[in-house]
Amino acid sequence: MSSMIGSKLCRASVQLMRCQPLSKSACCLSSIKSVDVAGPLDLKEITGKERKELQEYITVDQPMDISLVSGVPEEHIKTRLVRIATTPKNPMQSGTHNANNWFIQFDTRERWENPLMGWSSTGDPLSNMSVTFSNKEDAIQHCEKNGWKYFVEEPKWKTPKVKSYAFNFSWNKRTRTSTK
Amino acid sequence: MLRGPLTKALPCARILSPVKTLSTSAINNEKFEVFIDDKKVMVDPGTTVLQAAAMVGVEIPRFCYHERLSVAGNCRMCLVEVEKSAKPVAACAMPVMKGWRVKTNSEMTRRAREGVMEFLLVNHPLDCPICDQGGECDLQDQSMAFGSDRSRFTDIDHSGKRAVEDKDIGPLVKTIMTRCIHCTRCIRFASEVAGVDDLGTTGRGSDMQVGTYVEKLFLSELSGNVIDLCPVGALTSKPYSFTARPWETRKTESVDVLDAVGSNIIVSTRTGEVLRILPRLNEDINEEWLADKGRFAYDGLKRQRLLTPFVRNCQGQLIATEWEDALIAVAQKLQTSEIAGVVGSLADAESMVALKDLLNRLGSEDLYTEYPFPLEGSGTDLRSSYLLNNKIARVEDADLVLLIGTNPRFEAPLFNARLRKGYLTNELDVGYIGPKVDLRYDYEHLGESTDLIKQLASGSHAFSKKLACAKKPLIVVGADLLSRPDGAAILALVQQLAAKVTTDANVSSEWKVLNVLQKAASQVAALDLGYKPGTASIRDKKPKVLFLLGSDEGTISRGDVGQDCFIIYQGHHGDHGASIADAILPGAAYTEKQGTYVNTEGRAQQTLTAVSPPGLAREDWKIIRALSEIIGEKLPYDTLLEIRDRLGQVAPHLIRYGELEEANYAEQATELAKGVSSNLSSEPVDVKQKNLEDYYMTDPVSRASGTMAKCIQAVHKQKQSKYYEEAVN
Repeated sequence: MSSMIGSKLCRASVQLMRCQPLSKSACCLSSIKSVDVAGPLDLKEITGKERKELQEYITVDQPMDISLVSGVPEEHIKTRLVRIATTPKNPMQSGTHNANNWFIQFDTRERWENPLMGWSSTGDPLSNMSVTFSNKEDAIQHCEKNGWKYFVEEPKWKTPKVKSYAFNFSWNKRTRTSTK
Repeated sequence: MLRGPLTKALPCARILSPVKTLSTSAINNEKFEVFIDDKKVMVDPGTTVLQAAAMVGVEIPRFCYHERLSVAGNCRMCLVEVEKSAKPVAACAMPVMKGWRVKTNSEMTRRAREGVMEFLLVNHPLDCPICDQGGECDLQDQSMAFGSDRSRFTDIDHSGKRAVEDKDIGPLVKTIMTRCIHCTRCIRFASEVAGVDDLGTTGRGSDMQVGTYVEKLFLSELSGNVIDLCPVGALTSKPYSFTARPWETRKTESVDVLDAVGSNIIVSTRTGEVLRILPRLNEDINEEWLADKGRFAYDGLKRQRLLTPFVRNCQGQLIATEWEDALIAVAQKLQTSEIAGVVGSLADAESMVALKDLLNRLGSEDLYTEYPFPLEGSGTDLRSSYLLNNKIARVEDADLVLLIGTNPRFEAPLFNARLRKGYLTNELDVGYIGPKVDLRYDYEHLGESTDLIKQLASGSHAFSKKLACAKKPLIVVGADLLSRPDGAAILALVQQLAAKVTTDANVSSEWKVLNVLQKAASQVAALDLGYKPGTASIRDKKPKVLFLLGSDEGTISRGDVGQDCFIIYQGHHGDHGASIADAILPGAAYTEKQGTYVNTEGRAQQTLTAVSPPGLAREDWKIIRALSEIIGEKLPYDTLLEIRDRLGQVAPHLIRYGELEEANYAEQATELAKGVSSNLSSEPVDVKQKNLEDYYMTDPVSRASGTMAKCIQAVHKQKQSKYYEEAVN
């Protein structure tokens, strides 16, 4: 009984997987209440076992679809196409600190210059949402859970190159440099 | 100092040396371990400290080092401590030795970096607030991360910092030479990658300057890359100057379609306007470079645009209308099967498949591309006949390339950069049939006659021996050459030649000798979808309705189809196609739609929408889809994913983005080509783009670009300079 309520609560919850101790605690509270309706909740009654349960995660085996309850308008679920990719290295710089993070990006909708201030305006609530993921699978799961169609772009890697200062001075090769 | 050979100085060296070579060759094969910040890493012999550090994720700061250029070792920013070494070593130039312990975060390393940074900043202006590099500047970032927290710079004499006169090196690259830190990346790029050895240094010490010595423009089809390479704001983009900060812009990853290479790009936009285009790393295609047309022609996306539909009225004037009126007017004319479609060089595969489906439903099979290709023999049925079969990246591995009727420098600058890279690092030799052009590397000019191909195919030419001896030979044929009336005969001969070379040189089956270099981004996808190449048969058929999908090369004119023919033009620029049209449907340019393009090697890639189309313009396949519904032949796809399913039905590789679909059946194509009956004409082999001024304007976008016009002007100006010299080749 309590696990049924638990799973229902869990589905109804807009919160994601990581927040599930909350829903678990809610389900425990409700089961306690159903036994003793009259009295106020006494925290001491929560035994060690229950306390342990409060701290555990619930895992849901079947694929989750939170699009029904997430509050995102249907237009922004059915018509959007998400691109899952990694951030490219900035070609203007040699550093790679922010490169190669997985992220999701929505298809571009119209933007215009605000006539008052010249700022960029858009009617698309998802265009400014930037979410990064540690790997591709997480991003895919997030899109599936939200009911978005998506496609994945695999990252491009550099190939290692042989570098040597001596190439500049090799006497019989075209790599010899004359100018500096 | 010891200047003579070691054998002279040491009597026992002769005995020692064989032992030494033996031991090094034994070492050569095996990796050894080194420690970077106490992290163990196994490296090959010859690996530099900087590369070894990169393997364990330690990024050593650098200014002059760039992995696609030669090692210069002059900025000293990459100094690191090596245990038991008295002085810090330059990580970019120093090969690691077995068991070395490198400390990239020790006191000595930090002090070395701080010292280098202090010297750099002594002569670097504090103009970050007005510098275009601000926000994406290596010097800015590295001075924050590795510089000292206080300054010892006190200008007690008020003499100011070092100031250097700005150079005028052309309409694309703006120079503020006071900001230069002398990393020499631009010099090395110019001489190594672009092959234009114009930049260099003069003076020494604090009088050192980077420049061209005599006043000269740095004119190269790859010149824009020095903007990316410059770690400071000394070289910045002239068209982009004072436009935006990097954090204000949105970056969309897309694909360049102004040549058939399909370079990967990043489109920076703000408020529905493309502000600049940068290259994106893709080792298989463009590495980290981008040709100037792809980089700077974006201002053409804002000029000459078709913003509303137009329909010609009874007085013969084109009148701007609403979509509804235009679509109904076009639909009325489309109720016929005597209709032909022509696709231009910038059309995406989605709109091409939609147009093909529509015309097929109306009972017409007359769908053509603008660029002809021989139809005799296997024609376009076998992909190996029209693809760059051996991949762009593998050109570097070739040891002999024969270019026939193509000028890769202007038809595909990044392909030419690969050839030049092979020429420099892999001792690649190049043979050339065609007019004498400047490729920026030495080549053996065989001549201009088509007879040469015959001689080569029969083995009677002197160059045949070289081809037979080569380990990895390549033959690259220009698409223009095959579009000649005797193209079929040429292709048949080249296929024979390739087959002969394959057997003579005993190349492995993975190495494809025959390669065709396309010029138009849409051509491969169009041929894959079953479009017929060339517009010649439209002139014979005289259709009642002609549908031009972005065809602007002027291969078909009003005179070819007659006054009665109703011409519909769908595209994004008011160019040749729109000038002859009776109805104009405004479409989207490549930055405004998510479209599929297949590059010359057969790799499908997609552009992404960076901005929305201007005015009433719409995505191309959606226009055709809307039109089909009005005609009553509704096409069965409503969304991008649905039309891509349709693309996948026709040719599955078109939706496998980023992957290369290799072509087989080259042998069968050669067999079929034996039946070709047409004869070689005596007309010499020619290329259309011979000089740099021919490079800049080749398609509706670049023809509308003011920046490209300025480039052509600059080339003309350069030619009048007294320091101008014709190429030696």
